[in-house]
Amino acid sequence: MPLLVAPALAFILAGSLLPIAATAWEALHGHDLRLPWLGRPFIGLDNFVEAAGDSRFRAAFVHTVAFAAVTVPVELGLGLGLALIMQTATRGRSAVRLAALLPWAVPTVVAALVVRFMFDGQTGVVTAMFRSLGLIGPAFDWLVHPLGAWVPIGVADVWKTAPFVAILLLAGLQTIDPALHEAASIDGAGPGRRFLTITMPLLTPTLVVAAAFRALDALRLFDVVYVITAGGPGTATEPLSLYAFIALMQRLRFGYGSALSVTVFLLTFGFALVWVRTLGRSLVGERA
Amino acid sequence: MPRSLAPLVCAVAAALSAGCGGADSTVSLTFSGSAVGPEGEVVSRQLARFAEQHPGVDVSLRVTPDAADQRHQLYVQWLNAHAPEPDVLQLDVIWTAEFAGAGWIRPLEGGDTDFVAAAWQAAHWRGTLFALPWFVDVGLLYWRTDLLESAPGSLARLRDDAARLAASGPARFGLVWQGARYEGLVTVFLEHLTAFGGRIVDAGGQVVVDEPAAIRALTFMRDALGAGGFVPASVLAWQEEQTRFAFQNGEAVFMRNWPYAWALLQDRAQSAVAGRFAVAPFPAGENGRFTAALGGAELAVSRWSRHPDLAEALARFLTAPEQMLERARLAAQFPARRSLYDDPALADALPIPLEQVRDALDAAVARPVTPVYTELSEILQVELHRALSGQATPEAALHRAASDMRALLARSGLADEGARP
Repeated sequence: MPLLVAPALAFILAGSLLPIAATAWEALHGHDLRLPWLGRPFIGLDNFVEAAGDSRFRAAFVHTVAFAAVTVPVELGLGLGLALIMQTATRGRSAVRLAALLPWAVPTVVAALVVRFMFDGQTGVVTAMFRSLGLIGPAFDWLVHPLGAWVPIGVADVWKTAPFVAILLLAGLQTIDPALHEAASIDGAGPGRRFLTITMPLLTPTLVVAAAFRALDALRLFDVVYVITAGGPGTATEPLSLYAFIALMQRLRFGYGSALSVTVFLLTFGFALVWVRTLGRSLVGERA
Repeated sequence: MPRSLAPLVCAVAAALSAGCGGADSTVSLTFSGSAVGPEGEVVSRQLARFAEQHPGVDVSLRVTPDAADQRHQLYVQWLNAHAPEPDVLQLDVIWTAEFAGAGWIRPLEGGDTDFVAAAWQAAHWRGTLFALPWFVDVGLLYWRTDLLESAPGSLARLRDDAARLAASGPARFGLVWQGARYEGLVTVFLEHLTAFGGRIVDAGGQVVVDEPAAIRALTFMRDALGAGGFVPASVLAWQEEQTRFAFQNGEAVFMRNWPYAWALLQDRAQSAVAGRFAVAPFPAGENGRFTAALGGAELAVSRWSRHPDLAEALARFLTAPEQMLERARLAAQFPARRSLYDDPALADALPIPLEQVRDALDAAVARPVTPVYTELSEILQVELHRALSGQATPEAALHRAASDMRALLARSGLADEGARP
């Protein structure tokens, strides 16, 4: 029997545990590919100490967490709305589902590029719309405004991933027995009441899972930012993964870059652990 | 982690390929560099000619990404892994010190000194020649001959002309430059900086980019941006091509760009300003001098090449006057040889009128020469972009940049030596 799981274990070991361990080990070294005369000395936690004192790293950390805290609830809300529409649509059900799912099928880089064009300071349709409504001045450019630059990033991310949340929640909705709703409406409960007392409680486990998926993705935010702002203006929209990428691939500081990657890993892993331990357990406990 | 395994994979691949082709009687050389469009055509033709002249030698072209960052990353991985190929590398002028400092390229004999001064200087590291200048690029000011009588002789006049014409209507923008957070921004800043008499590093190699002249230069750039200025705020997201589009649609009075734009702007099929523009050096401000940021490429021989003498012969062949002239004619790139600029054949070969660029070429300045240039530049890019997008004052941004740059030099064991200006 143990032999039968051996391939799976070997796969996990080679595919994820070894690379993670090797990255963590590299993070404990001073290793700069461009400065071979400095060698590759073991320096303990110095890279992490440097990161703690690095204002660009701290800013990237805040950006990452704030981005997840803002976009995940929006995606859950929109996803829930979409799921309810897909659930209740009687005519053209498959057409509605297809339309709702299309953004999810578009490659992220393409979606991000489209959004970048829409928010272009000179020629973007969205920019032109806002300008004609007098909401932004003639010299305003989303991509060069430290806060404004987050808007296209958030829009691209929400547009792209709300359908994913919707499809998860739709699956959750379909497990709810229609008899419950029928019984409740015979007892005189309106749609709002039924939503709050039947749909929401029964959908919560699915919501928790969807939120976990989205939050883990948001904490690893990279591609949308890379395409739309590349972290700019300055480093106003730079998330952790992008900073780690720059340290590794542009500066070629493998030790420090690995340390940054390890913090991204610890952040997502820590989040997943806490999320599963607290919410996951209470949900399972309620059922038992 | 997969990324740091890449050198290992390269090493294995190199070892295997060495095992395959070791005992052959023909010697094979590999050249690596830009090979897109006309550049690829001319380089293939020249490599074939070199092989013809050297029986028993086979030269192949290894295509590398055209994006500088990606090529740099690839080179570093190969050289770290001691890969014996490519033998001859096309280096960006700002990489030579890094590769020489790391011991990845071989020192060269310096007898032949007929090269543009700034390019010649950038090819040296600690007094030793490590690369042969191949072609050069200089930042230029493109200006509209239908809107102005002459090119502005000073930064103040550039500002006045730009502001007046942008306000009165013939063009939406006064001046456009490359302001995205990338290497191009550093070259634009360098031209403003020298125009105000500032420097990034002083003669002793120490970082002085927080001096008053530098702060004045960055303040000038920032004040030019946005609602009250003559440069659109959108340039902070623009690289070369976006500025060219704006200028070629007739939307800008002035544009700072490289020589490549000339031929494209003269193409009536796509350009609204064909025949209505000229180039001049980017002008000087108070207490400064006009200058042009030097770009371009150099050729170096890999330390791990198995045929270093032959590889050096190839680098010398490609940088010989005949090959440079051919390159100028087919790829419109400026040769790095000084003497060619007195040769009427060059004026015929290049689309851009030579007399308009000669001053800029003579005044060209190299960026700081140091093994950690790419990181030094990245620090500067971030802080410049912060100041220009209003997130910090020019003074605070440059102080921070300077202190980060000094810390970087110290961490890299280069504090005493600094960077060579």
